[in-house]
Amino acid sequence: MQSAVELKTWPIVRTVPSAKVFVAIVVLCTLASAALASWLPLQVSIVTLFLFAGPHNWFELHYFLMRLPVRFGRSRNFFLTAFIGLGILTFAYVTLPFIYNAAPWSEEAWSTIIASWNTLLLVWLALLVWLRSRQKTRANWTWLVPVGLALCSLNWLGPNFFSLAIVYVHPLIALWFLDRHLRRTRPAWSRAYRRCLCLLPLMLAAMIWQLSRTAPLSDDNGLFWRITQHSGAEVLPQVSSHLLVSVHMFLEMLHYGVWIVALPLIGRMASRRFWDVKTVPVARHPKGFPRIVTGLLVVAVAAVVVLWFGFSIDYSTTRDVYFTIAIAHVLAEAPFLLRMI
Amino acid sequence: MKSLLFACCLILAVTISTKADVAKPKTSPKPAKSVLHTSLEIVPDGKLYEAKLQISESDFQTLRAALNDAPGAGPVRGAIAFSAPRTIIAGLLMFLAVSVAGVLFARSSSFGRTQKALGAVLFVAVVLGAAAMITRGNAGPPGSWRWRNLPQALADGKSTIGGLDIEVVPDDQMSGRPMRLIIPLKKGNNPGEE
Repeated sequence: MQSAVELKTWPIVRTVPSAKVFVAIVVLCTLASAALASWLPLQVSIVTLFLFAGPHNWFELHYFLMRLPVRFGRSRNFFLTAFIGLGILTFAYVTLPFIYNAAPWSEEAWSTIIASWNTLLLVWLALLVWLRSRQKTRANWTWLVPVGLALCSLNWLGPNFFSLAIVYVHPLIALWFLDRHLRRTRPAWSRAYRRCLCLLPLMLAAMIWQLSRTAPLSDDNGLFWRITQHSGAEVLPQVSSHLLVSVHMFLEMLHYGVWIVALPLIGRMASRRFWDVKTVPVARHPKGFPRIVTGLLVVAVAAVVVLWFGFSIDYSTTRDVYFTIAIAHVLAEAPFLLRMI
Repeated sequence: MKSLLFACCLILAVTISTKADVAKPKTSPKPAKSVLHTSLEIVPDGKLYEAKLQISESDFQTLRAALNDAPGAGPVRGAIAFSAPRTIIAGLLMFLAVSVAGVLFARSSSFGRTQKALGAVLFVAVVLGAAAMITRGNAGPPGSWRWRNLPQALADGKSTIGGLDIEVVPDDQMSGRPMRLIIPLKKGNNPGEE
């Protein structure tokens, strides 16, 4: 009888790959990413960004929509703060290049502007953490207050270092998302995944050891110069730009891999057609918003196509525009990650 | 009238002669101004007939901005610049961070949490102390460490990369030399003298 019920509940027996297969894939992808990023950093950066920058944003939007509740309920303040902060911070960040070009800022004044934006970001994150902690009465997150203040202090000492840290830390957030997701959906894989994460510092140490003495990358054209600058070649002139671009590219490739491959395949999206709007709870629910969700996803697809078109026409300018606007997806990860903790 | 005219002429002549005898004011030699810290790669190339000094466009712009005293013209650098307002804000925030951490530590009752808090405080203190020593105390290996194998590398035809401070030196202190590269090579580091 019990087996009959089970058969009725799970009519299709699906072959779930073992944790060993998962570990093998993770290790292989990590090694391949590190090798490619170390070998041809500039070329890999150009190709990877062209292919995956747009699609990974689409998958992120889809993932966030999947995790958005139909009614905010007790989380109303949390989501309001999240969306308002997201809008303000993104708008402020997009206006920064215009502000920079509007007047001849001294280095000191410009550092203060950057430090102010970073402080706003930290205040917003602290607000979100506080609102989330009110919903999790068992958790004690008060220790985050001194940590946040210390981060603010370090930001004011070296605003450009802090901004560069965001560039390098952001790809790692995807690994955190995957960890939380595995703990919920595949607990058996979670332990193996955490062991795989130990490989990351080892890979980074190996890359630093191998590339720290290499000659700086040639940045004789505008595009190569942009890539090295984005990786921090100007902020850290003592460090080989080859090392910086390779490490950044390695982390970015892991980031893209998590959002485009790992999370869609492991999550619920694998069981149904992920392009089907009905897979999104906010659209599927009777009180949901199927039209808005459909519109958002279609606009996101159009943005991906426009991005590819832009990269084909003028790669350098599109790259600049993308990395300016893409701050929105960097910020959006914070509230959804907090909801998963 | 004549005497008045004579007196004026005399005063004028004395003034001119006096002024002409005034020694040229001693100008204290201007100290060299460090305008950029970057890295330098010395590459031996057997195919070249003339030495080349290659400099990136951004570094050149920084140098030019430094010479023109145009603060906004140079690229924004990420060095920890200790300006007064930013240091004050950073100090206040760090004071608050340490104070709040101290209060939380004092209020924590369980032993496990106390240990964790103590560990976190110690960790932050060690990191900050190490960062302060490295950035402000010239801790860590000195810049000459990277240049220690330069003679051997040049002999082997290999390149060497190390840190470099670009200084702008007044013309009169350069003794007619347009450019000079000073490498911090210690005698003990010279492989030939070991």
